[in-house]
Amino acid sequence: MAQSRRQNKRLGIYVHIPFCRKKCAYCDFYSYCPHDARVYEAYADAVIAHMKSYRDVGVDYAPDTVYIGGGTPTSMPPEEMLRILHGIRSSFRVVKNAEITMECNPATADMQTLRRYRRAGVNRLSIGMQSSNENELRALGRIHSFGDVKRTVRDAREARIDNINLDLMYGIPFQTFDSWRDTLRRAVALRPEHISLYCLKLEAGTPMCENASRYVFPDDEMQFAMYSHAISYLASCGYEQYEISNFARRGFECRHNLKYWQCEEYLGFGPSAHSYFADVRFSFKPSVSEYIKNVVGGARGALTDEYEQIPARERLGEYVMLRMRLNAGIDRAEFFRTFGKDFDRLFGQKLARYVKGGFVKDTGGAYRFTTSGMFVSNYILSDILDFDADGHFLL
Amino acid sequence: MTDRQKHIRNFSIIAHIDHGKSTLADRIIEATHGVERREMEEQLLDDMDLERERGITIKARAVRLEHKAEDGERYVFNLIDTPGHVDFNYEVSRSLCACEGALLVVDATQGIEAQTLANAYLAVDADLELVPVVNKIDLPSAEVDRVRAEIEDVIGIPAEECPAVSAKTGQNIPDVLRAIVDDIPAPEGDEDAPLSCLIFDSYYNSYLGVVVYVRVMNGTLRAGERIRMMSSGVEFDVVEVGYMRPLGLDKADCLSAGDVGYITASIKNVSDTKIGDTVTHADRPAAEPLPGFKEALPMVFAGIYPADGARYNDLRDALEKLRLNDAALSFAPETSVALGFGFRCGFLGLLHMEVIEERLEREFNLDLITTAPSVIYEVDVRGSGRVRVDNPSNYPPPEVIERAYEPIVKASIITPTDYIGGIMELCTDRRGTFHDMKYIDTSRVELHYTLPLNEIIYDFFDALKSRSRGYASLDYEPDGYVESKLCKLDFLLNGDIVDALTFIVHEEKAYARARRIAERLKDNIPRQLFEIPIQASVGSRIIARETVKALRKDVLAKCYGGDITRKKKLLEKQKEGKKKMRKLGTVEVSPEAFMAVLRLDDDN
Repeated sequence: MAQSRRQNKRLGIYVHIPFCRKKCAYCDFYSYCPHDARVYEAYADAVIAHMKSYRDVGVDYAPDTVYIGGGTPTSMPPEEMLRILHGIRSSFRVVKNAEITMECNPATADMQTLRRYRRAGVNRLSIGMQSSNENELRALGRIHSFGDVKRTVRDAREARIDNINLDLMYGIPFQTFDSWRDTLRRAVALRPEHISLYCLKLEAGTPMCENASRYVFPDDEMQFAMYSHAISYLASCGYEQYEISNFARRGFECRHNLKYWQCEEYLGFGPSAHSYFADVRFSFKPSVSEYIKNVVGGARGALTDEYEQIPARERLGEYVMLRMRLNAGIDRAEFFRTFGKDFDRLFGQKLARYVKGGFVKDTGGAYRFTTSGMFVSNYILSDILDFDADGHFLL
Repeated sequence: MTDRQKHIRNFSIIAHIDHGKSTLADRIIEATHGVERREMEEQLLDDMDLERERGITIKARAVRLEHKAEDGERYVFNLIDTPGHVDFNYEVSRSLCACEGALLVVDATQGIEAQTLANAYLAVDADLELVPVVNKIDLPSAEVDRVRAEIEDVIGIPAEECPAVSAKTGQNIPDVLRAIVDDIPAPEGDEDAPLSCLIFDSYYNSYLGVVVYVRVMNGTLRAGERIRMMSSGVEFDVVEVGYMRPLGLDKADCLSAGDVGYITASIKNVSDTKIGDTVTHADRPAAEPLPGFKEALPMVFAGIYPADGARYNDLRDALEKLRLNDAALSFAPETSVALGFGFRCGFLGLLHMEVIEERLEREFNLDLITTAPSVIYEVDVRGSGRVRVDNPSNYPPPEVIERAYEPIVKASIITPTDYIGGIMELCTDRRGTFHDMKYIDTSRVELHYTLPLNEIIYDFFDALKSRSRGYASLDYEPDGYVESKLCKLDFLLNGDIVDALTFIVHEEKAYARARRIAERLKDNIPRQLFEIPIQASVGSRIIARETVKALRKDVLAKCYGGDITRKKKLLEKQKEGKKKMRKLGTVEVSPEAFMAVLRLDDDN
């Protein structure tokens, strides 16, 4: 009887795999290369136990997306990864047609392994291709070649994974417009369903940032040229831009990532994982050893890193900040339905100069960034949004 | 001469910057037990933080010490410290007039420098007995005999027997004390004559009002008496007189001819106690004021604005507080289209300006935007006669100008001969007129030039230092005005003139300055969503242009696994930066960028 009263609210599940074979020169995500192989087993145990502890909290939820990210999830021993995949299902009622994504670096998973993951439910593979140019891959500190990318895509298809994303990167040292065009062309030739374009950003503390003076980076003008070229080229190949950095064949938009931009709920597990759940944004401290210790020891409070209540006002600010990333932009009617407020009244005047300047388009029903607007979106968002002294949105 | 007077020695210490003046003062104070060692703060006379950090004495200070000489007699030493920078030449000269002698400190490793000489001349002008002291003999590179010979040759005073000391280690300090007693004359003056006291310093104290430092030349002054400032005729009732001890004021019954001491009289404003003015009795005034009084006239002007416009009132309060202690500082409200509300401030010179800026920022916690320093130009305007212009943006349009005049200075530069070429080149480039060159010894010369003041305030000192590896020294004094071909150089951002960036330059300099500032603007103005044309114009002529390209990229093209907080913080930080931006016309510029444009370094 109790079961019939359960709701089936949608939820995203994120599991962070903080391990890599080798840390890339530009990466500032929390991950490392373990010296002791026993950590994988202990980590899988901890994640499974941690998810289990959410069983009651998540009773009214039926997760429709799962995302295994990292780090490099495929650097885990397959047995441990499989245990985690099963662990998700034993703690949450994952819906039947859920999108289950695993990130993967080329040459870190063979066909047998991919097949096993497919059988465990993984139906989307996100491959960190970055570039088809060997010099650029070396500059990034990647350990794979473009040949590895081709093989991994072939293996994934063979393993019946029919939703593949390729991550590409521009703004790489020594990259030229031509080499970028080449990377795009070769990526499209592999016929992925989805393509993400990330712009290399120097993050403080990374080896690339520290050695930045040794590299020649494409300048902002060039990066914008690369970005605009990608948008039109991918469109001509049937990949529609649906978010600042994301392109897909129709119907293959990443449902999990959309949750981030549509302010939907998700729970993240693992050190440094972020969650948005029950009007709270929180994250866990970025330390594997502490994570394991605290989960096993039951000291769950000690896991928390950031913790922020998101009241309605804050939600509205986040909505604007995140929705504007989407190609669809902000729909006036939907905004009114969600917040009971007139979007134009709040932001119309501030946006007017950007509409006039060709950075924002007013389609009548919605406001959305143009291509040039997307590339300066931080500038515009930081102008139209206001913050109070505590860093909360001010309306 | 009374017996009291016979046992007084009033003296200053003069030196080039860093030759060890303050350290020597410390040793003298210590040697006369003026201060117990544990109470002794290093360089006691410089009691402003800033002075201690920069190693310069900004305002004169004085101290009364008691010394038991080797003959068993007790002497009163009044040590009057002087500022060591050319901006404060007038104040130095007044301090010197309060003395009968001066210790001329010369660094045994450096020899005579421009300020040594300039101060020595001031001392000679004031009829002081000069006692040379060769300092820093503890350093391995000390050349005592060479420096002694140099003092004799260049200044023309005997130095063969002069004390050679190390103020740092204390070596031979008794020689200095002996020289003070033996060589510096005792003060003269009639205790019963009408009162005349020379004001050589004053400062505001929130309990006592203005504390006036004086040297009594004639007469006797007691508490309760009515005094008059002879330059203005303003009168006050004396509350207290006394001496300046190393650790504070010490009340006394009276001050008599020959004494150095202080007066308090419930004076509210230091501008009533002008340095060089004469204090006399209201009921029995001196017939003549003491000679040499001049109003301290500001020579360098700049607009000072709060970086945060809301702190205008704080800035005004701070300037008012500083003026309590600094009669040479002038300020008047002004408005700039670009910078909002602020003040046009007048300073004695660049150092004075820097000191005021630093004090405003440090003591009053203000962030400032300061426009480029300017001088006062005089312009004959058709129909309305001569006008004085202290703000470049008020410079009249060329059509109405009949003639324009700019202030010039007589400059003396002392440099090792190796750098003569570079320095002469610099002076020529700065529109200098060469007068002569004198050899101080075989390796150093003194160059005399007439230079426009506006060239000196534009980075001359740094350029001089960089062309001489820091060895050349400069001293200058105002020398009136000359007719000059000046023009007003404006900068336009996006077609709008930015008033805060207007310069008056000599015609020949307009192009170079225009190009340089335009480049600086291009490098420092953050990119914005539209392209920003930068133009430099003289009248309607555009003489330089640059473009700030449009911002192309400002995006977070990465999605950090659902870390929304990070994105939010990023936007918030960006917003924070934007709030500080100043609108120059339609263009947003941070205060830092504005200051970077006007920074006067890396010239040449």
